[in-house]
Amino acid sequence: MVSLGPAVLGLRRDARILKLPPYLSALCILVGVVWLLLLPLNDYSRQTYVSENALLPGQVHTYFGGSEHNVFRAYRHEVHSLVDKPNEERVTKLQEIFRSAGLKVATQKYGYEIGGRSIKGENVYAVLQGPRADATEAIVLVAAWRNMNGEINHSGVALMLTLARYFKRWSLWSKDIIFLIPQDSTAGPQAWVDAYHDAQAGPAVEPLSLKSGALQGAIAVDYPAGPWGHRFEKLHIHYDGIDGQLPNLDLFNTAVSIASGQTGIGCTIQRMYKHDDSYKDRLQTMLRGMVNQGLGHATGPHSSFIPYHIDAITLQTVGSGWHDEMTLGKTVESLTRSLNNLLEHLHQSFFFYLLMQANRFVSIGTYLPSAMLVAANFSITAIALWVQSGRPPKPAAKPFSTDSKDEGVEPEMTLVKEGDMTALVPASAFEIVERKLFLPVAFVCATHFLGLIPLYLFNRVSESALYPTFFLTALLTPALPLLGAYPFVTSLRPTLQHLHLIQCFSLLLLGLFLSALATLNFSLAFLVGLAAAPLSFVRPVPGKPRIALAAALVLSLVGPGLLLCVVGRPWLPSEALGGLLKGAVEAWAVNHAWTLQVVVWLVWWPAWVEGAAVLAVSGFVEAD
Amino acid sequence: MLLHVRFLLSFLCLFFSQVILASSSDYHERLLLRPLPQNALLASFNFRSNESLSSFEQQNFRYLPRSVGQILQHAHTKELHLRFSFGRWDAESWGARPWNGAREGGTGVELWAWVEAETDGEANARWLTLTNALSGLFCASLNFIDSTKTIRPVEIFQPEGNHQDANLHLLHGALPHEVVCTENLTPFLKLLPCKGKAGISSLLDGHKLFDASWQTMSIDVRPVCPTDGGECIIEIEQTVDMVLDIDRSKRPRDNPIPRPVKIEDITCDTSKPYSSQDSCYPLDHVLEPSWSVAEIFGRPLKGACPLTAAEGDESETVCLNVPPERDVEVRTQGYHAQRMREGGFLRCYELPTGEDFDLFLAEQSLETTIPLPQSPLYATRSIVGHGQERGGVQAVITNPSDAAVDLAYLESLPWFMKPYLHTLKATITPTSDNSSYTHPIKETYYRPAVDRRRGTHLELLLTIPPASTLTLSYDFDKAILRYTEYPPDANRGFDVAPAVIRLLSSSGEESPKGVYVRTTSLLLPLPTPDFSMPYNVIILTSTVMALGFGSIFNILVRRFVGADEVEKRGLAGLKGVLQGKIGRWRARFGGKGAKEL
Repeated sequence: MVSLGPAVLGLRRDARILKLPPYLSALCILVGVVWLLLLPLNDYSRQTYVSENALLPGQVHTYFGGSEHNVFRAYRHEVHSLVDKPNEERVTKLQEIFRSAGLKVATQKYGYEIGGRSIKGENVYAVLQGPRADATEAIVLVAAWRNMNGEINHSGVALMLTLARYFKRWSLWSKDIIFLIPQDSTAGPQAWVDAYHDAQAGPAVEPLSLKSGALQGAIAVDYPAGPWGHRFEKLHIHYDGIDGQLPNLDLFNTAVSIASGQTGIGCTIQRMYKHDDSYKDRLQTMLRGMVNQGLGHATGPHSSFIPYHIDAITLQTVGSGWHDEMTLGKTVESLTRSLNNLLEHLHQSFFFYLLMQANRFVSIGTYLPSAMLVAANFSITAIALWVQSGRPPKPAAKPFSTDSKDEGVEPEMTLVKEGDMTALVPASAFEIVERKLFLPVAFVCATHFLGLIPLYLFNRVSESALYPTFFLTALLTPALPLLGAYPFVTSLRPTLQHLHLIQCFSLLLLGLFLSALATLNFSLAFLVGLAAAPLSFVRPVPGKPRIALAAALVLSLVGPGLLLCVVGRPWLPSEALGGLLKGAVEAWAVNHAWTLQVVVWLVWWPAWVEGAAVLAVSGFVEAD
Repeated sequence: MLLHVRFLLSFLCLFFSQVILASSSDYHERLLLRPLPQNALLASFNFRSNESLSSFEQQNFRYLPRSVGQILQHAHTKELHLRFSFGRWDAESWGARPWNGAREGGTGVELWAWVEAETDGEANARWLTLTNALSGLFCASLNFIDSTKTIRPVEIFQPEGNHQDANLHLLHGALPHEVVCTENLTPFLKLLPCKGKAGISSLLDGHKLFDASWQTMSIDVRPVCPTDGGECIIEIEQTVDMVLDIDRSKRPRDNPIPRPVKIEDITCDTSKPYSSQDSCYPLDHVLEPSWSVAEIFGRPLKGACPLTAAEGDESETVCLNVPPERDVEVRTQGYHAQRMREGGFLRCYELPTGEDFDLFLAEQSLETTIPLPQSPLYATRSIVGHGQERGGVQAVITNPSDAAVDLAYLESLPWFMKPYLHTLKATITPTSDNSSYTHPIKETYYRPAVDRRRGTHLELLLTIPPASTLTLSYDFDKAILRYTEYPPDANRGFDVAPAVIRLLSSSGEESPKGVYVRTTSLLLPLPTPDFSMPYNVIILTSTVMALGFGSIFNILVRRFVGADEVEKRGLAGLKGVLQGKIGRWRARFGGKGAKEL
């Protein structure tokens, strides 16, 4: 130990150590990516299982059928006849059907103003007061009038109406059951669940006149088959919540286990309708799941419930097969019975997981290191830059050389005495380099606050101006460092050390933010980390303005923003990008989804601007 | 034959009344059946018996059950109110509550009593005695009403009886999480003189009672002193009120599953354009459903309880509240009498003794409906906000009447729910210009909680203008409990007792029972640790300790010998063992013999 201390301290000045960080960073990124790619293998992922004993999926006999089918068909015709009718008539009719089943009915009007566009609608909901319930707990069954694709959810709504009538006759409900028919699939459920917790945004969203107890779970049904029905092949289960939050894995597992085990319907996730359980399909499912989680937007009516700690999923019918509405009804019946069995809020199983098939998952302990490694690479580079910024500009070259060639430039030596010992040490070893922190800190702070401008703009401009704003931002982002470099140098006269420190702080913040984010939204942290990876390897090129500007331009060009805008334009459908922007703005305004925009504009964008600025400015800085 | 029976009956009654030296009207019972909208049926049972104060003090119990009487005397309790309830009363469709809510409790168990004591400490000790004794009597966890769940209400409860003592302490406790079930019904029935064998109590069956949509059982003991200065009596009143779903109750017990009905049994709307063989838009039932007492309660009434009065109003123990045009068929072999009251809306029956009695109402379409009294108030309460740190409570009280009402509002909160009184807000909608309504809170009684000692007691006196809604809201913090303080189902959340609302009538002329409305209870989710983690640690450490202890113990007690020193096993070994055993026996007997010699 005694000999280790000086040896390690000596290593600090070893030139080989200082060369190591870029390789270490690259290794971190590489291991992180490979780690993720290993996850779909059998050895690293696990078969799903139901943790909560109370759920007993598929253990009850389902009786939904018989004359209920006739009633269902009639209700589906009723729903179809309401399609072109004004809103009031639709609401009145739905209320009437619920009321005739003996349920308590209420409505809620809601409205949101987003970028000059207004979203308006009215939710209808009915409460079945459980005979064994004391109004402390409730389950929500949702069928949005229009699904995510904007189609009328004929059979889904009709199924809710029929189930309400059927469930009323049972005396075993230990929780209230709320049947919710929102007018659309994102704003409606959000308005309702906000108002249920008295957290509605402004007077445009009405408070609820009828409430029940604490919501324990929500199941949404999306079955848009028209008045003459359509037999489906599989159930497509959506589970992504706002901001990448996920429902308890037990709820998902229960749905899969009931659908496949009891009613014989296959289940798919993440639009992987054909899944042959190969490595490639598993990886693709997982990556699609990560993209959805990273975007953090609503993927169905269930998404709005999840931030309130209400586990929720959407069952969507896909394909053409031989399963009919009664099979779906039985699935929902069995699922509701399972939730009704719950004694406690779902808490047994995982809340953080990646699914790669309907019955395979990896849990947070297994996948988290990959995002953490990617985030760590920035911290490593930041530490290396900090050490570098404290070094004297010119390392002492061979101080003890006896070579006669160096005789002319005799290094300045200092006599060091300690006890009886004396030694001659080059004076440069004692030189203290002071780090001038004000300019770097101010610059990094300013750039991060600058990110507030696009964040504000994107959520304020009207919808038509959204795409031009994006184009302008994408163009200005590389232009800003290029054009600003010369004025910056002439006015503030930054040194090379300043540039090192700017980059150091920028990467340090990036590493910090991303590792914190990895515990909240793993996918976003991983994807942003990868997108910012080049910043770790950018180094100032002092004294070479042309090379520096060109490098900054290249860095900006490979920046995904401009890449998406200029290079991706010919291939991407023009609506895709617009849709993404619109979706992000809507999610921000309606669903209170904050992670994506905050991370992009306040974490990733400033880091990118700082990286390009360091590169561009360095050309005008003299090499020491 | 009938005459004979009647003669015998009256003779018996006379005999009984002579033997027990009391008037036959010391025990009353009455059952009221009232069909409610949406196929519901209210069954309201009431049992009342009296005991003179002097015989009560001499422990001379007749109708008053000895078990209750002795508990009251031991705990110096002068007036007692005990409630077991579950479910919800649907005031919007069912109207006013039975007994104006005075015989109703909040979800779970509720208990309040006036205890005689010199000091607060003595009152608390006697209250503790009372709750523990009642807990044993009613098989309920009443002993969990400790100091954290006990409050001393100020305005909300007034004594129903006539008390002379000044040193009375009112204590109140509630257990909202307690599930009321058969084990509470059986002791309840045992307190009745006819014990569920005869009279209306013979209808009380656990299966049906606890399948009700709303159910409440109550026991009230109070001293009543006549105004003319006669001898005071102790009155015990027991009630059971329940709302049954007629369709659900009529299902046979061996086939309770509500399978989809046959398509022929559904009335379809054939006027719909799509109406066909396979599509059926169901029409509402326009007919009053058919039901009978035996069908609904699973058994017929086993005749009158012989202790009730033989004639007069008190002898009519079953009353049916249906419109006059409704056909009612009485099914009994014995003598019975029927009298119409209140313009034919109330039919009361005198029951036969010793013979089954049943009422049958056929399916019928009715022109008139029974007038249901409107509920004086509608009240709901819910938890708002989300997250593990704080939340809010919102109570919405609606006054549908044309007159302003004054009311007392009581909240008894557990200590781990810490309200901020400065956030207490009361708003009236629609807003009125009348300045007297701008501040609906007239008075506030507040006793803040002390961690792990006592809960919050909040009582408000409020005024709601006519046809308005009062929204009362406040914020609270959630405390973090010690891990041993969590119940086994920690993730369910914690129940918060319902709020109690009492109407204070402005005229001053009110019945001593009062008019009450209770909200539903709340479920409060608290931050919960991951309990499986310590469990895993316990398992792991136990395994390690067992391994370590096991091997060390093994090494310590085992005798190590060389392999060649071990006796050969096999036949010789068995032989050796047998020889050894025989040798031991021989030594024992031989030894004995030697001693005797």
